[in-house]
Amino acid sequence: MRALAAAVIGFTAALALVLTVTALGGPSGSTSPEPLLTTVPEHP
Amino acid sequence: MRRTASLVLLALAVFCAALSPLLRWYAYPRLAKIPPDEYQTAVLEAAPATLLDYGTMKPRKVPKISIVQTLRGNVAAAEKVGRTTGRDVVVWDALSYIEGPDGKMVSRIPERYVFDAHSQEPVHSGGEHVDGDAVRRDGIEFKWPFLTEKRDYRYFDAQTRTSAPIHYKGTRTFRGLEVYYFEQTVPWTKVPLPKTMPVDGVTPEAVRKAGTSRWYTTKRMFWVEPTTGAPVNGEEIHREELRGGTLLGDRDKVTVFAGHVKMREDYIEHTVDLVSSQRQLILLLTRYLPWGLLTLGGGLFALALWLEARARRPAPAAE
Repeated sequence: MRALAAAVIGFTAALALVLTVTALGGPSGSTSPEPLLTTVPEHP
Repeated sequence: MRRTASLVLLALAVFCAALSPLLRWYAYPRLAKIPPDEYQTAVLEAAPATLLDYGTMKPRKVPKISIVQTLRGNVAAAEKVGRTTGRDVVVWDALSYIEGPDGKMVSRIPERYVFDAHSQEPVHSGGEHVDGDAVRRDGIEFKWPFLTEKRDYRYFDAQTRTSAPIHYKGTRTFRGLEVYYFEQTVPWTKVPLPKTMPVDGVTPEAVRKAGTSRWYTTKRMFWVEPTTGAPVNGEEIHREELRGGTLLGDRDKVTVFAGHVKMREDYIEHTVDLVSSQRQLILLLTRYLPWGLLTLGGGLFALALWLEARARRPAPAAE
């Protein structure tokens, strides 16, 4: 019974971690102020 | 004491074993995404090239033309489309600008590409267009999906405004990276005239009224790093002609542009460096962490069993 409880705790922790990380996601940022280029840049 | 330790190890083993598939199959599709605020440029060159001289209406050889391609993620438009479609969407405003040897504009084609941030499937919302003409993309453009497969994909051609298969032609090594080589040939096709013509006073309407039409063919080649789906090199053998009408005098057709377009060396190096580092993040989610955690989980489980077995072993009888 204690082994089952330990396994449930392990599984719940993994699930909580993945759900939290995916819910946080990445930053959306903002549109770059750089222009759509009409000149040839010298370097990347 | 040993029994408590074995229970803790068991919990950790289950944690690691459960995290492994959760990362690969749940977290990866939600975390591996094209950022909506991406800004990228690429410079390609055709040296030499054949270009139409609109003054004499005769093609001439020029030492070099440059194509500047800019992709800019439009975050506000992506959020708006995301709200209406319920998907995580990226909106790229792109410009392909061609500059002649004299620094003057040869062509400028803006476009908007709206697609799913993870799968790269086109999303038909948010005003996708090419040169102001509304289009409905079918297939990919600019970039392949993460974990690109060894198969043909449908690739959107901005000139014809249609999609056609781009064929997987084998695996190659490019600058130390394993890449998939793709090739697409667009046969001679009548295509729209650009909205912005390279000569002042000449409009697409005037060219059309003269009975002249624009035709185009290309052989398109991409070397794609399969983990990220990012092309690390691209080339095109591109030809354009004007055909028919009174503009050409007694000729049936005249070459507008012909050349073998290749990515500029410094942009190849930059792209290879960028992709080499980005692929590690994808591999972390799809390979390193899932397999590492699974192995660790197995090891911890074995250790937990061993401790449990030792705890249950009867103590030796006292002398």
